[in-house]
Amino acid sequence: MLIHGATGGSSKDTLDPHAPVTAADIARVNNLYEPLLFWNNNYELEPALAESVEGSEDAKTWTIKMRAGVTFHNGKTVTADDAWKSIQRVANPDAPLSAGGQLSTILDFGACKVVDDTTLQLVLKAPYAILDSLLAEYTLGIIPGGEFDPANPVGTGAFAYKSFEPGKTSTFTKYADYWGDAAFVDELQIQDFSDDSARVNALQAGQIQTVDNLPYNLVDTIKGAGGGTLITDTGAWVPFTMRVDQAPFNDVKVRQAFRLIVDRQQMIDQALSGYGSLGNDMYAPFDVAYAADLPQREQDIDQAKALLKEAGQEGLQVELFTGDDIGSVATAAANLFKEQAKAAGVDVKVTKKTPFYDDQYLQYTFAQDFWNTRNYIPQAVVGTFPPDQGGTYNETHWDNADHRDLVNAAAQELDDTKRAELLHQAQEIEYNEGGLIIWGFRQQVDGYGPNVNGLEGSKYLPLGSYKFNKVSVQ
Amino acid sequence: MTADQSHEHEHVSLSGEEAPPPPPIAPAEPGTFKKALRQKRFTVGLGITVLLVAFVIFAPYLAPYGENEVAGPPYNKATGLFGTDYLGQDVLSRVMHGGGEILLIALLGTLLGMVLGIAIGVVAAYGGGWWDEVLMRLNDVILSFPQILLALVVLTALQRPSAWVLIVLVGVSHAPRVARLARGVALGIVTRDFVIAAEALGERRSRVILAEVLPNMNAPLLAEGGLRLTYSIGLVGALGFLGFSADPGAANWGQMIQENRLGLATQPWAVLAPVLIIAIFAIGTNLMADGIAQVAQRGDN
Repeated sequence: MLIHGATGGSSKDTLDPHAPVTAADIARVNNLYEPLLFWNNNYELEPALAESVEGSEDAKTWTIKMRAGVTFHNGKTVTADDAWKSIQRVANPDAPLSAGGQLSTILDFGACKVVDDTTLQLVLKAPYAILDSLLAEYTLGIIPGGEFDPANPVGTGAFAYKSFEPGKTSTFTKYADYWGDAAFVDELQIQDFSDDSARVNALQAGQIQTVDNLPYNLVDTIKGAGGGTLITDTGAWVPFTMRVDQAPFNDVKVRQAFRLIVDRQQMIDQALSGYGSLGNDMYAPFDVAYAADLPQREQDIDQAKALLKEAGQEGLQVELFTGDDIGSVATAAANLFKEQAKAAGVDVKVTKKTPFYDDQYLQYTFAQDFWNTRNYIPQAVVGTFPPDQGGTYNETHWDNADHRDLVNAAAQELDDTKRAELLHQAQEIEYNEGGLIIWGFRQQVDGYGPNVNGLEGSKYLPLGSYKFNKVSVQ
Repeated sequence: MTADQSHEHEHVSLSGEEAPPPPPIAPAEPGTFKKALRQKRFTVGLGITVLLVAFVIFAPYLAPYGENEVAGPPYNKATGLFGTDYLGQDVLSRVMHGGGEILLIALLGTLLGMVLGIAIGVVAAYGGGWWDEVLMRLNDVILSFPQILLALVVLTALQRPSAWVLIVLVGVSHAPRVARLARGVALGIVTRDFVIAAEALGERRSRVILAEVLPNMNAPLLAEGGLRLTYSIGLVGALGFLGFSADPGAANWGQMIQENRLGLATQPWAVLAPVLIIAIFAIGTNLMADGIAQVAQRGDN
């Protein structure tokens, strides 16, 4: 048996394949259900329940070929109809679920059709060159008939449902007829913990075998206890967010000054204990179009001071909102920023909110947030577009039509080179004027017990995207 | 109750008339402190407390690093005397900077709690009857909440506590406990001859309380004050540990324990240093309170 320890769970825990929230939910969903495609450990698309997903030349019609011989945990064969109904559940235009925000706006529901048991044809209202990447999200698992039954959840994953107590524990059994590599362990248990210290103690005592999102400064502790740590590069970031529509950050000079105040290397050394790579105020570092050629921004207090003086903001005072629910990195980074800003004559008052993610979230003038690995276009849409155009988490209230047009044009552009060129221009706008301070990308650090084998790091999700079928326990 | 008490009045004054006036009624004020100083317990406690207060006041000027200055890698044992904390700040310097808030809030909170509690208790005892009943039952209502719970409820509702909020909370949560004791002590005094004499002379009630009743309560109240101070330190430390402090980045002994508890196995000093200093502080004030209490008890005999 393999027991995984997770934090963040509560009585609101869910097994819904399309609406996981906490890390515990995500771990469960990834073992029960599978999407049509999947991001592999190197953050590249890989076929999963679909053998192929191919777009027409104009990128308006997409043909999905289902993998043959895949069965649900209840023994039924997975058909194109199940896939289409699952997509419809996620992309319901009235209430799109997390993976369906963009799908709901681009799918031409009337024209899409199930050709036969193994072929599904998706038709779009407008060309969309990277539709396949939308189908690869872990929140788009395929379920029979697109219907989720909380009492008896059925999927195609390597583990089948056995029992579930929200906020406490859930148990899954090995699915012997799994189409891929069947699990090594007979049973998987996912145990909720209230905090990291309890979880780390349980790991050290051998009561659990794996933990995800290990606090960075505990790597040595786990190693000292004979355990292993899995360290992987990711595109995950914990930015400072400045609202571009509110003083003082409505002045681009203040935003630029703040970006020059940050000592990025110190952030990584202290807040991430060195487990991270430098950020350059742009996200999506794994995207092929990532603008790596723009010069690396570094701390420059003199220039920051000059910019603040030009903006008439010498002796500026700002309140920085942070909270434990953003993750342990956030408070640490906020406290470091306060100290770094002193050098530029900026007085930062750090306010810790409990909880941070309440109805004030997305309203803070100056705050923090966290994001996981994504490519540029989906991230730009969700994080920088106005809410009615898909920007459900636009913390900075960024509203730039030029930038938006470039992103939209890139999404419709089929030529890779031209798309990269458009995205480069879009990134340059954010690099020069944006409201995000992206000081670094954190490495994923997970811990496991001395008797655990087979874990491979993934750039996509913690613990090798929670693929526990690859893990064996001695 | 009213009948009972007036009866008691009569009884006491009667016995006072019968026997020759007993000598030990003289105010205990000048004696308590001197007597306490002869107590080893008290002097040791006082010594520790004075040293610690001096440390809290002067240490920030002597600390090798600034309050938020990064000194080395996180949880590093090699940096400085006690190593570094979760963020790479010097633990020794954080301990040296971290006492101010705890001390100030604990002291002012205790003071507030004592003043409030004594006022309620003495008024209840001296007023008697209906006053006593209403005040003490209201008191019981607040008393039924555990101190930390009361503080947590208010702090959760307020989101962002300032130092003043913490002081008021500590004070208000102490007041009912002090009030109980103050009432008990005052009840034994308001029936004594000199109080009745003062009343008979037509002194105003406020003057009777201030000049006759309070000075005779100082020994047990001092002991209680010391005890409350000990509890205050614990309470403020606990609130810091639970994440309620005025500034999340500031060094604060209670908060330090919380910030660094994950690293207990790797870098124990980051937790032990603030724990030890809170413990020493609490022991110091407690010894002091204990010493006074012993003097007070002996004085009563």
